[in-house]
Amino acid sequence: MARILPFTVDPHRETRDLMPWLITGRLEPEEQARVEAHLAACEACSLELAGERALAGEVAELPIATGIGWAAMRDRLDTAARQASFVPAPPPVRRRFTMAQIGAMLAAQAALLAAAVTITLRVEAPIAPYHALGAAPAAVAGNAIIVFRPDARESDISRLLKANDVRLVDGPTAANAYVLHIPDAARAPTLDRLRSNAAVVLAEPLDTAALR
Amino acid sequence: MSDGSVAHRQTAEIGNAATPEDLRLFAGVCARELDAFEALYRLYHPRLARFLLNLLHRPQMVEEVLNDTLFVVWERSDTFRGASKLSTWIFAIAYRKAMKALRRLDEPVEDREADARPSDGDAPDAPFGRHRTQEALLAALAKLSPDHRTVVDLTYFHEMGYREIAAIMDCPVDTVKTRMFHARRHLRRLMDGELADWL
Repeated sequence: MARILPFTVDPHRETRDLMPWLITGRLEPEEQARVEAHLAACEACSLELAGERALAGEVAELPIATGIGWAAMRDRLDTAARQASFVPAPPPVRRRFTMAQIGAMLAAQAALLAAAVTITLRVEAPIAPYHALGAAPAAVAGNAIIVFRPDARESDISRLLKANDVRLVDGPTAANAYVLHIPDAARAPTLDRLRSNAAVVLAEPLDTAALR
Repeated sequence: MSDGSVAHRQTAEIGNAATPEDLRLFAGVCARELDAFEALYRLYHPRLARFLLNLLHRPQMVEEVLNDTLFVVWERSDTFRGASKLSTWIFAIAYRKAMKALRRLDEPVEDREADARPSDGDAPDAPFGRHRTQEALLAALAKLSPDHRTVVDLTYFHEMGYREIAAIMDCPVDTVKTRMFHARRHLRRLMDGELADWL
């Protein structure tokens, strides 16, 4: 049996309280019916709803930048696994890397990556050093590079990458480029599709074979 | 192995209450599959990063809290009982971790930069502001308390219902509605000059 509950408080107040979730479609059916019935009869609340929709749209559109942190998480898991496998727990001296060393390695990797990108884009020279130094254990190797428009939305980027079965491997670099892994067989058509997207400034293969 | 059966039970209990993809990956996490965890990490990272950046307003803390959160997901996957959506459970962990990190700062929870931000010609947020309205909105959001910002962001960006938000913030549903009401009133008052452009 459908439960139709009457307003238990001031209908204007309840309508205004529930308005945000009416906009996002997250009200229960009976709540929605009650609120919509009130809105149909109340001009003040309808005006308020129009303003609220605008606010909701602006908040949802706010571009808030995010980074990619899987490498840091992977380090942490490795550290935890090492600590769990040593009995007794190793003293700090036995740690394989200090934070400073890790920082230096990451910085060196980032610098090499930036250099590799520059070479690929401007000189089209072989970039073998990237493969030697950029290959972390068990990490997926990147085979393409992409630059998004500065105003591209995270949700669009995410959707685009998912739709093309592409994964982010590294970045952003100093030039705001990201390294991608694309299944080898589909790389050329995938890059063509990425390039044709309005959010993409540049999408290029990242190894020498593809440049020939 | 009990891990697998836990994941199976969770999947069965939650049914269509969560997207199949994150539950499928979580089943792998319960079975200690690193690939599944990496995929789950990548799936949640953008949403959590946005949520935490909005809540904390300190980019340098976001990565730490985010990784703390997902580390708990990996280490304590057995504590997810399927009573809520997986996303609710993960966001609740993130919220608790973020509030704890804010308390550790030993400073008022309110954003100290809030007063200075709107008058700065080039605030740190400036690159995000495609339009004047967005810049004004970011400044207005910065003036809200973290709790109010959280409710606004979970409602309008993450599109969560008030019951789910109450579960994440561990508070009564009426508190969520009240926080949202006050947050909207503050935002619209602070955005007064911009409203004409919207309507």
